[in-house]
Amino acid sequence: MTKIVVDPVTRIEGHLRIQATVEGGKIVDAWASGTMWRGIETILKGRDPRDAWTFVSRICGV
Amino acid sequence: MAGSIYDHLLSNGVTRRSFLKFCSATAATLGLSSSMVPRIAEALEKKERPSVVWLHYSECTGDSESVLRASKPSIAQVILDIVSLEYHETIMAPSGHAAEKSLHDIITKKKGKYIAVYEGAVPTKDGGIYCFIGGHTAIDSCKQVAAGAMANIAVGNCACFGGIAAASPNPTGCKGIQDIIGGTVLNIPGCPMNPENFTAVIVHLLTFGSLPALDSLGRPLFAFGKLIHNNCERRPHFDQGQFVRQWGDMGHRLGWCLYEMGCKGPMAFQNCPTIRWNEGTSWPVQAGHPCIACATPNNWDDAYPFYKRLEGLPGVGWQANADKIGLGIAVGTAAAVAAHGAIRAAKQRKVPKDDGEGHE
Repeated sequence: MTKIVVDPVTRIEGHLRIQATVEGGKIVDAWASGTMWRGIETILKGRDPRDAWTFVSRICGV
Repeated sequence: MAGSIYDHLLSNGVTRRSFLKFCSATAATLGLSSSMVPRIAEALEKKERPSVVWLHYSECTGDSESVLRASKPSIAQVILDIVSLEYHETIMAPSGHAAEKSLHDIITKKKGKYIAVYEGAVPTKDGGIYCFIGGHTAIDSCKQVAAGAMANIAVGNCACFGGIAAASPNPTGCKGIQDIIGGTVLNIPGCPMNPENFTAVIVHLLTFGSLPALDSLGRPLFAFGKLIHNNCERRPHFDQGQFVRQWGDMGHRLGWCLYEMGCKGPMAFQNCPTIRWNEGTSWPVQAGHPCIACATPNNWDDAYPFYKRLEGLPGVGWQANADKIGLGIAVGTAAAVAAHGAIRAAKQRKVPKDDGEGHE
């Protein structure tokens, strides 16, 4: 059983880690992790809904 | 000289004429006289492209997008021709171990010779677990890269001051790069930053061998030395008391001042009105939206709510009374215009009044 880790995954926006377990030349299990969290949902709590777009449009700039 | 920036531009189809236009435009952005254009041109003709390591932390990649869409001098991706972008996760081919090796190679083999560019804030809460790259926290990553860099440049409000990631209640304890690595960090804030300011900083570094003059927040004065409100093309409307009172009203259609709708131009320092965006096409206020002071520290709380009129700024007495002052001037103007038999003044008096809270 071999473990493969690809981190950072490039050519994407954000931070991603891929981990896979290989057995007999086949991937038998895999995990994807987003390795960055800002909590924009938490930041939005209690704010005026009319301002929400200015925040949520900054979740991804690509 | 083979391998110079100029050679690289030529081999990518840029003409001598476009090259010199770029040098002139950059000198203008930097606030330099036209006599400095030959010096800039000479530097770019002789110098090799500097290596750039571009790191991403808690961010949206909007600043990279901004740079990839830079277009002066009439070519796309000019910055990619001026710098040698050797590490940039969004556009580089290697991933995983190969990417880590590439970063390691640059910071060891080119120690003291590369420019480090940071995009995104650094989360510090809970030991920095909210941003990992290749198994390292953003805190460790930026400290490691900064140590061998010839210059550290933070791009976008997140990397400069924490930005939106640090907005209240700052769930991940985000901070700007300077707070983590210390020393001199050149900040090019904005959400996103304006790519022409980035290009100008790089050209200044190549031409004069030093960073441009900075303000107390580490921002280059050529770009952040003037108040948006003082340079705004809608300023005459402010002075005449001609305010937009409601979205889509007559004043909005006529391009009047957005102060009453929440414009934060009076607290924001940046050169947006001068260089604008997308090849000088437009900028938010020109497009009819209030400024949100995106290059100001903590703007997501201090300039908030974005659609509420700014008032009571400490030390700037006229701000609290701007409406009254503006209206006072408007009455005077109306009288003067009426005396000349014009009808414009009548229109001015018809502007509907509201409680000044914006949002209608």
